[in-house]
Amino acid sequence: MNGTYDAVVIGGGMSGLTAAITLCNAGKTVSVISKGDPVCCLSTGCIDVLNGTERPLKGISELPFGHPYGFVAEDLIIEAHEHFLKIVAEGKIPYTGSIHENRQIITPLGTKKTTCLVPKTMEYSEYDGGDYVHVISFKGLKDFYPTYIMMRLENTGCSVFDAGISSTIGIAEQFEDEHFRQTFADWILRQNIPDGKITLPAVLGIRSSLSIYDDLSRRTGRIFFEIPTLPPSLPGIRLFNCLKNALIARGGQLYWGSEIASVEKLGTIIEGVTLKNPGRVARVQGKAFILATGSFISGGLFAGMDTVHETVLDLPVYYPENRKFWFKEDFFSRGHEIEKAGVEVDASFRPMADVAFKNLFLCGSIIARSEVMKYGCGHGLAIATGYAAARSCEGFIK
Amino acid sequence: MIVRDVIIIGGGSTGCGVARDLALRGISHCLIEKGDFAAGATGACHGLLHSGGRYVVADPTAAEECISENRVLRKIGRKCVEQTGGLFVRLPGDSKKYRDIFLINCDRLGIETEVLSSTRALELVPSLNPLLEEAVRVPDCSIDPFRLCMLNIVSSKARGGEILTHHEVIEIIKERGRCVGVKVKEKTSSSIKEIRGKVIVNASGAWAQRIAMLAGSSLPMTLSKGSLVVTNHRLSNMVINRLRPPSDGDIIVPNEAVCLAGTSSVGVDVPDNLNVSDGEVEVIAREAASMIPEFEDVRLIRTYAGVRALLSSDPCDGRQISRSFKIIDHKNGLFSIIGGKLSTYRLMAEKLCDAVMREFGLKKTCVTAEKPLEGQEELRGYPLSSRLESLKDIVCECELVSRSEVERVIQKINPKHIGDIQHRTRLGMGPCQGGFCSYRAIGIMQETGKISQEESIQILKEFLQRRFKGIKPVLWGDQLREEQLIEYIYLGILSMESY
Repeated sequence: MNGTYDAVVIGGGMSGLTAAITLCNAGKTVSVISKGDPVCCLSTGCIDVLNGTERPLKGISELPFGHPYGFVAEDLIIEAHEHFLKIVAEGKIPYTGSIHENRQIITPLGTKKTTCLVPKTMEYSEYDGGDYVHVISFKGLKDFYPTYIMMRLENTGCSVFDAGISSTIGIAEQFEDEHFRQTFADWILRQNIPDGKITLPAVLGIRSSLSIYDDLSRRTGRIFFEIPTLPPSLPGIRLFNCLKNALIARGGQLYWGSEIASVEKLGTIIEGVTLKNPGRVARVQGKAFILATGSFISGGLFAGMDTVHETVLDLPVYYPENRKFWFKEDFFSRGHEIEKAGVEVDASFRPMADVAFKNLFLCGSIIARSEVMKYGCGHGLAIATGYAAARSCEGFIK
Repeated sequence: MIVRDVIIIGGGSTGCGVARDLALRGISHCLIEKGDFAAGATGACHGLLHSGGRYVVADPTAAEECISENRVLRKIGRKCVEQTGGLFVRLPGDSKKYRDIFLINCDRLGIETEVLSSTRALELVPSLNPLLEEAVRVPDCSIDPFRLCMLNIVSSKARGGEILTHHEVIEIIKERGRCVGVKVKEKTSSSIKEIRGKVIVNASGAWAQRIAMLAGSSLPMTLSKGSLVVTNHRLSNMVINRLRPPSDGDIIVPNEAVCLAGTSSVGVDVPDNLNVSDGEVEVIAREAASMIPEFEDVRLIRTYAGVRALLSSDPCDGRQISRSFKIIDHKNGLFSIIGGKLSTYRLMAEKLCDAVMREFGLKKTCVTAEKPLEGQEELRGYPLSSRLESLKDIVCECELVSRSEVERVIQKINPKHIGDIQHRTRLGMGPCQGGFCSYRAIGIMQETGKISQEESIQILKEFLQRRFKGIKPVLWGDQLREEQLIEYIYLGILSMESY
């Protein structure tokens, strides 16, 4: 399956899909090449814009020079997130919150996690003092232990439902079924749960979480909120599916499960890539390319014993030199030095001037000095840089 | 107050061996261990049951002890010994003369050898460096130190032995110049117990000096740290040694699903808080790769280190010091044992118990070499089929450990650390090193009500920090990739640092 597009996006995660959708909106023909489902599916699905502060935008303005957020003007960051909110609302997984203000949600450990935008199913996940919170778990579920949460809350109780299956994805699939929901709602009503909120692990459906959530609230007359679980995480999967569907609806082409075998270049221009597909080889050509392959987890970067390289185009990578300094001693320190590794870009999201490619743009955590864990800025940075890189790319294609 | 004839300090292989030996001779005893069994050098060694080949040139006494104990353990401990066989490989540039002396000495000591051509050696272990000159086959084996300790304890418990793990000796009680008992502190509750005995056995390995000092004595010993790395999978089904004088990183031992490679030898002052340096890892990986080239880019999942307690007080080079052992009678009711090795633990226990029997004026002889270790019948080994039976219930995906297995251990031993569960089930010993399953194991511990809720987070935090310490020196490649995901789970999803 060969094709020629205005823009070819390499990497189907948050930043790549954001960039692709943005370019589609601008009337460009776009394809996305991805090795597989992205790290987004392992995430909480919440949009961390910049944690460690109450006001993310103010925090961003105070970031050290060289952080990729610095290449995106504040109004563009706001615009990118508004664009995101529009897409997820269209895709029936509306998000709550505002980029101007962070919020805190309950984690499966009962701690508070700072984040910014959350799916509507987590809207009520905020502590408000002594209000009663009832924790629902599911029999045999190995990644959710109500005791962790109950020890952190003052006023709380717990019930366990037997869904006949013990994986989050399996239970989520059950919730897609109306009869199951009725059974579950009836069971809730029989528990005589005191007034207050009801929380449960994020298992309320895969495809139709919003209507499942509303349906449960209606049937029981109770306020629910989901707690994002360990990977694989339903809110992350829903978010990814939503963006993927938004791209398809806009005419974007997907090359899924495809690794890049070779890259064709002529001087300072990348002409096309060849995909390693089972069966026949596909060649994808584009006027411009966007590299959104992420950092180490997603495989955009790979660390040797003492070097780091970029896996698709072998672009020069910035990284702390001595392996001894890659990680701090403390596991809980947030922000190991190795997090700075990445490809350095200029203000138009192209690799730095000494790198030859004129039609290549980068977005997401492959960009050097992103330090996503240190700043708690994963999805927010992906949205902002994906949107901004797409804008820059659009200007180039014109 | 507990009263027993003998108090054993240390739950490593020596202490556990002494407990079994005394039990079989009908002597009442109490064993005190500050952590879990095999928590010191016993659990932090290669798990190699030496044929003696390694010491045959420089230290024939140690070699002779090794081969004789090797035969004994293969006979009495079938379920904790894997009879892998071993190869000493000679690479281009390695001394031919050394090889000749090696063969002569093996012959003299009765260590069975077979010289193999490089072709034959490669047939046996295809991952070997194809440039090897030749290999010598010896009866090296792989041994499970945790299991070994626990099986020795079975005999002790069955005969009324009192076993106190997670208890630390804080005082040795002396009366009229003689050691008559100890005070121990329970680790979690800090409650103090007093135990009285006629003889105290100091089998605390690297901590032996500390214990001797509590009794007002001292020991001629030196500490040498040995570091090892763990691979993601088995690269060889035989033990692989380098045919040359013992040096860093020249042993590779298959163990369950992985291989262990090491060791280094670095003098240290204290036995606690060991760190493995990046330099040590690089040396071990490079040396191992000279024998098995795959080591160059194999995924290393962890490092660990143990401290050998060696005889003599000359700390300049740990490798020059004999690996044989010594029993010291402090003439005040305290007996210390230092030196030796896992392979000869039983012999060490036998000699020590002989000394104790002389002290008591009793005649009963040792039978530990003849009687198979008790409790082996119940062991299931590592059958994949039985682990797959409860697939739905798996809490540790790397090592296929089920929830019911974890619950069984919790009910049985009342664990206070994830390590206690790890050693008994292999939970958390795979590629993610407990990244996913430690949160689950503690969740389960909490649900059974065996630990308080506040305790649980503390245990999880300690585990993650200790785990990270072991992984940090091998963070590159896929292990780095996995670690970033684990970091995301505990900090990004669970916000654990906010505790």
